Amino acid sequence: MGTGMRAIVVGVTFGMLLTLVGCKPAAPSGPAADARPKVALIMKSLANDFFATMAEGAQQHQATHAADYELLVSGIKNETDIGEQVNLVEQAVAQGARAIIVAPADSKALVPALRRAQSQGVLIVNIDNRLDADVVRQAGLQAAFVGPDNRDGARRVGEALAAQLKAGDEVAIIEGVTTTFNGQQRRAGFEDAMKAAGASIVAIQSGEWEMDKANSVAANLLSSHPKLRALLCANDNMALGAAAAVAAAGKSKGVMVVGFDNIAAIKSLLADGRLVASADQHADRLAVEGIELALASLKSGQPGADRATPVDVVTR
Amino acid sequence: MLRAEHLTKRFGSVTALADVSFDLRAGEIHALCGENGAGKSTLIKLLSGVHPHGSYQGRFELDGREANFASIRDAQAAGIAVIYQELSCIDEMSVAENLFLGRPTTRYGVFIDRGAAERRAAAALARFGVSLDPAAPMRSLGIGQKQLVEIIKALLRESRILILDEPTAALAEHEVEVLLAILRDLRASGIGLIYISHRLEELAKIADRVTVLRDGATVASMPIAAADPATLVRHMVGRDVAELYPTRTARRGPPLLQVRDLSVAAAGSGIRIEGVSFDLHAGEVLGIGGLMGAGRTELLSHLYGAWGRRSAGRVTLDGHRLDAGGPDSSLRAGLALVTEDRRRYGLCIEQSIGFNLSLSSLAQVSRCGVVSRRSEALRNDEWFSKLGVHATGLDAVVGRLSGGNQQKVVLGKALMTAPKVVMLDEPTRGIDVGAKMEIYALINTLTESGCAVLLVSSELPELIGVSDRILMLHDGRVTGTFSREQATPEVLMKAALGTAVVHTDAA
Amino acid sequence: MFGLKRGSAADLLVLLAVWAGLLLLFGQLSAGFLSPATLGSVANRIPALLLVATGMTLLMVTGGIDLSVGSLVGFCGTVVGVVMVDWGWTLPAAVACSIAVGLLLGSVSGLVSVKLRLPSFIVTLGMLEVARGLAFLAAHSRTKYIGDTIESLGTPIAGLVVSPAFLCALLAVALGQALLSYTVLGRQLVAVGANIEAARISGIAVDRPRIAAHALLGALTGVAAVFNCSRLGSADPNAGVGFELSVIAAVVVGGTSLLGGRGSVAKSFLGVLIVATLEAGLVQAGASEPLKRVVTGVVIVVAVLADTWRRRD
Repeated sequence: MGTGMRAIVVGVTFGMLLTLVGCKPAAPSGPAADARPKVALIMKSLANDFFATMAEGAQQHQATHAADYELLVSGIKNETDIGEQVNLVEQAVAQGARAIIVAPADSKALVPALRRAQSQGVLIVNIDNRLDADVVRQAGLQAAFVGPDNRDGARRVGEALAAQLKAGDEVAIIEGVTTTFNGQQRRAGFEDAMKAAGASIVAIQSGEWEMDKANSVAANLLSSHPKLRALLCANDNMALGAAAAVAAAGKSKGVMVVGFDNIAAIKSLLADGRLVASADQHADRLAVEGIELALASLKSGQPGADRATPVDVVTR
Repeated sequence: MLRAEHLTKRFGSVTALADVSFDLRAGEIHALCGENGAGKSTLIKLLSGVHPHGSYQGRFELDGREANFASIRDAQAAGIAVIYQELSCIDEMSVAENLFLGRPTTRYGVFIDRGAAERRAAAALARFGVSLDPAAPMRSLGIGQKQLVEIIKALLRESRILILDEPTAALAEHEVEVLLAILRDLRASGIGLIYISHRLEELAKIADRVTVLRDGATVASMPIAAADPATLVRHMVGRDVAELYPTRTARRGPPLLQVRDLSVAAAGSGIRIEGVSFDLHAGEVLGIGGLMGAGRTELLSHLYGAWGRRSAGRVTLDGHRLDAGGPDSSLRAGLALVTEDRRRYGLCIEQSIGFNLSLSSLAQVSRCGVVSRRSEALRNDEWFSKLGVHATGLDAVVGRLSGGNQQKVVLGKALMTAPKVVMLDEPTRGIDVGAKMEIYALINTLTESGCAVLLVSSELPELIGVSDRILMLHDGRVTGTFSREQATPEVLMKAALGTAVVHTDAA
Repeated sequence: MFGLKRGSAADLLVLLAVWAGLLLLFGQLSAGFLSPATLGSVANRIPALLLVATGMTLLMVTGGIDLSVGSLVGFCGTVVGVVMVDWGWTLPAAVACSIAVGLLLGSVSGLVSVKLRLPSFIVTLGMLEVARGLAFLAAHSRTKYIGDTIESLGTPIAGLVVSPAFLCALLAVALGQALLSYTVLGRQLVAVGANIEAARISGIAVDRPRIAAHALLGALTGVAAVFNCSRLGSADPNAGVGFELSVIAAVVVGGTSLLGGRGSVAKSFLGVLIVATLEAGLVQAGASEPLKRVVTGVVIVVAVLADTWRRRD
């Protein structure tokens, strides 16, 4: 290949990249942008429908309140990429965000980065997954929490399932990333409900919030515990993976699956009974409530109070 | 049926073939002889389309019509097949799959029909009187059997001309007989064979005519009846041992390297060394001759600690035992090796001259593990000019140098360790005459300063011209030791062929 | 003139130019990019990357590779957490433990791969799983919050603008390049990677430098784990997932050959700068996560392609 040809290849590639980056979705710029406060929404894996819904809700809200604020939306590759989420917090600060709405991928490890942001005058609102209270206090972070009571929600999902179980039935829990607060809460809620129903929890394993992982975990549980009656999954992504494993094992009749989040993808599964129940924590509202709290605090100069959002159990 | 006329092939400034003409009749076995580098393999490469038409002068005629091959595929299509020394069969596949490699028996053009392939293979094997299981994996076969499979594979492609490059080099005696019988059958069926071999006694058994090449030119072509081994050897070696080689002036000192009853074996290699003994004196050049596979390279590699397991024998260097512990301990003991394959074993080809020169003697130019750039550069400069390396400087990348200059760098690397004994394996292979002479001069300088040199060479004139004494190996054993005065090419060749075991008193 | 050969200065300039180009480009795309805050965030991001990239360069020069560094960052970090939180030891003690654990696991990878003649790719793929598993075992699958003591490593020293972590990483880069250019071990690393047979015949005990490179990378990863903890203020067994790919990308962008025999720590340093700047810039330019990954992937391949072309001419 000639030198000219090579230069063209490199040139075209970078040109393409620039165009790609230039076509950014929601980052209006121009003179008006400067007056409005920038609010950064930092979520977890955008591969998860739950956060995609959350992002859509936030973008719709911004579109109807375009004059009030500018929205920066970002997320990470997978649920465990904490380093990247810390990076997103730092970049938001560097971009001059006035407020950060964050769904932390880890309940503790994000605190220092958020505290550094706060020390630069950025308002922090914690949504979805609650930061560890002790660590927040130790670090001196001020962050209002907007989100559901996960333990209560999980308990109620568990109860919906328990209605179809007898005492002594074997069940297993597929929990989320074990280092997250909401993961721990949901697991605890499931355990509460199962204990109350007298079911026997034969295994608790992590599916790390991901469909793939949960699918292989579920498949193994099904073969090692042939009498298993139900799989309680800490989110719907994992419930989808588990339901697929159940179908693959030919046990659709005998093994029930519940999830959490009520993402769009599970509608049909709920309808035909492959999924017994899930919890809707109104993802689209979650970010919006966080944004509204942040805007109000920015206006008043007062840190907002924690706000509990509703959780509804959905069955077929 | 095949006629080649006035073939001339040059590689850069080197002429590999000079106006060679050659012909082959149907139903004939035509043997091709010559020293290594005489032009045999170049001739084959022209014939088989490896060097495409246009990259050389001259023409080919097949059945009276002009035939020029633009590629290997062309030559194959014309019915020419080469069985190389390095067999190209695939060990992981079965005999049948190897036979039909590239042209599998298929069903509906998609699915491999194993059953049909094996039936066809069995038929083919039976036709040539070979009893082999077509379903057997190739790896379970011996070298001789593999060779037969290769030959049958070539015949299945309707080859009419079969070229065999040293087919018996790796075969045991009884396998040779089987092969020769099959070749005679082929001849009877009208196939033309070109047969290359160093084993002169074999030629008498099988060939119809012999052509001898030397330095890229045809020096003789005659019916086999006229070609007794002595005549052939004279034609092959031919030239005078000219002034190419400097006069030896070094005085012979006490023995430095003493090898007694050395026997070595290595797993996975047919070559072994048995009961080799010799003394190498300070200031002396001891040449080691023999044919390919005689164990020359292996002997050197073993002494250096890079090959084989010693089953018997004792080696001392300057009175201290040498246990083949590894290249690092050999170098410390004062034994250096310059390998035959420069690019594979000699050089870091992408690195600079300086990097390569000092690689074996980093300990001498460093303190506490830190290389002293100054003393390194001093030593490198000294050897760079002493060796007369032609390059822009020490920073030049070794891979861009000519073969001769690369060889000088490898030599320099070995000599920088200040060895007592230097072992050189084919030090002048593939380099031009000028560089050869410089290396001969260097060998003289080395021995004058009290070093001893062990020299392996396939070129008899070089062996005779440079060595004080010559040790001939055949099949891992010493078949003769000759003083410089006793060593004539004829005598050496006989010893190399193992036809006569000569023990002259040359110690 | 061996580690930094002729033409190497030109390579450095090319990489510097690419970096400057990225800075200008992102400066145009987003207004606040060329700010102290951005540079601060990049400087805070890279110490761990730099340390591991230094070790990875030395290993890749020998023709080896280590895929387990991400998991090792997670495991060594967990060790720091356990030592400081559960046992109440001091930070220096925790650092020592982290380095020791990194050194140990790195040496194990090296010994297994070299002595048992397995490709380092395979061995460290195994170690990737082993170390991650150990991290979860040691931490009981919980993040440990450490707090200010360890965060101070990542906070700029008063009056110096940069953090201790950053200084330490720079020091590692300098020492790493010096090792490669000026020491016998450095020569041996290059020789082994360039032509292991020739190196053996040249009298180099070829196993030693290869194992040493693995061990050194392990130790450096131990230090990197401490800095990663300092960035998170906590020890998270999930830390460092995918980290090995960022490191290898940076090293490769810096022109080190995956086949061995060629590499420069100084150029890996610029590779890290480029990768980190690209990451920060794409976030600030508003590129979505999928788009970021597409762009990063393409840039890596094009950078290496450009380097190969330059070399061939």
